[in-house]
Amino acid sequence: MPESWDDDQLLAALGEAVRAREAVPDTFAEMGKSVYAWHNIDAELAQLTYDSSREQDHDVVASMRSASTGAENASVRALTFTSAHLSLELEVTDGSLLGQVIPPQAGTLEAQTRAGAITTTPVDEIGCFSVTPTPASPFRLRCRTVTGTEVLTGWITL
Amino acid sequence: MRDDPSVVALVARAAEDDHDAWDELVERYAPLVWAICTRYQLSRDDVEDVGQSVWLLLVEQLSKLREPAALPGWLATTTRRECLRVLTAARKSQLAAGMLGDAPSSADDTAIDEELLISERNAALRAAFAELPPHGQQLLAMLFRDPPCSYAEISATLGIATGSIGPKRARYLERLRQSDALIGFDEHEFTTSTPGGGHGA
Repeated sequence: MPESWDDDQLLAALGEAVRAREAVPDTFAEMGKSVYAWHNIDAELAQLTYDSSREQDHDVVASMRSASTGAENASVRALTFTSAHLSLELEVTDGSLLGQVIPPQAGTLEAQTRAGAITTTPVDEIGCFSVTPTPASPFRLRCRTVTGTEVLTGWITL
Repeated sequence: MRDDPSVVALVARAAEDDHDAWDELVERYAPLVWAICTRYQLSRDDVEDVGQSVWLLLVEQLSKLREPAALPGWLATTTRRECLRVLTAARKSQLAAGMLGDAPSSADDTAIDEELLISERNAALRAAFAELPPHGQQLLAMLFRDPPCSYAEISATLGIATGSIGPKRARYLERLRQSDALIGFDEHEFTTSTPGGGHGA
């Protein structure tokens, strides 16, 4: 401790320290605590490697706009999550979440919302799955394949 | 940064499925993560996003941290990286939409280092404060309130004579100084930032 501080400085520092904690909303700290639920889950974290909403350049936007006038795929968002052993390719529309595990393999897929609700869906032999309705945003996916690989995506915000 | 044995112990316990130890780590360092996000002027949603990522990365790293004592530095670096990720993503989508906003605000290394030092000092001060008896905490809390309570108000609220407030204040502050949480601190860590100076929101 800075013994050179006099009582006034120490008291001011203490006030600052207590106010710094009070400035943090309780919900923020609670969220941090709830993350511990993911402790010891033996899953690889899959990183977001493609997001159509963030990769569009002017040309793509322009071509999509012209191509999709009246077409139904304008609101599709494509996302790819990649881990060392497998990737998840996702297509999110208003009503559902479609995806495929690459390389194709069967398994189960869990969608978890931040509130903790979990939807479990089978993944078929060619790695395809469908979650209907689309989970409440933000959510994350956890995929376990029959070969024992397990991956977890980051949070997906729509 | 000193090696704080309590941080090492908390990390070790949290890695062994001790939820209380994890909660304590979050309590202790949430202000650091929050303060760095504030430096980057992120929206509330983005702050949640960054916080979520940082804690999640920490959960995954708990048993792999090579130097648990360096956790505060790790958290500061990780938070900063996550803030930049969020800002870069926002910037890209602005560019894509043809809405070129202002360049993302940045916080330089010095600012983050300063935040880290202040955060460590604050965590130690709060730990020391928590060790004081309840009436000591009450008294000091009324005194460090901004603006501070008057001696008359303190006297009325705590039922103590105004003449005893000064001596009690001195005694509790001395106890604070001598507490284990603060006694290990290296004085040099504080020379760059005295309380009340330069700690912008």
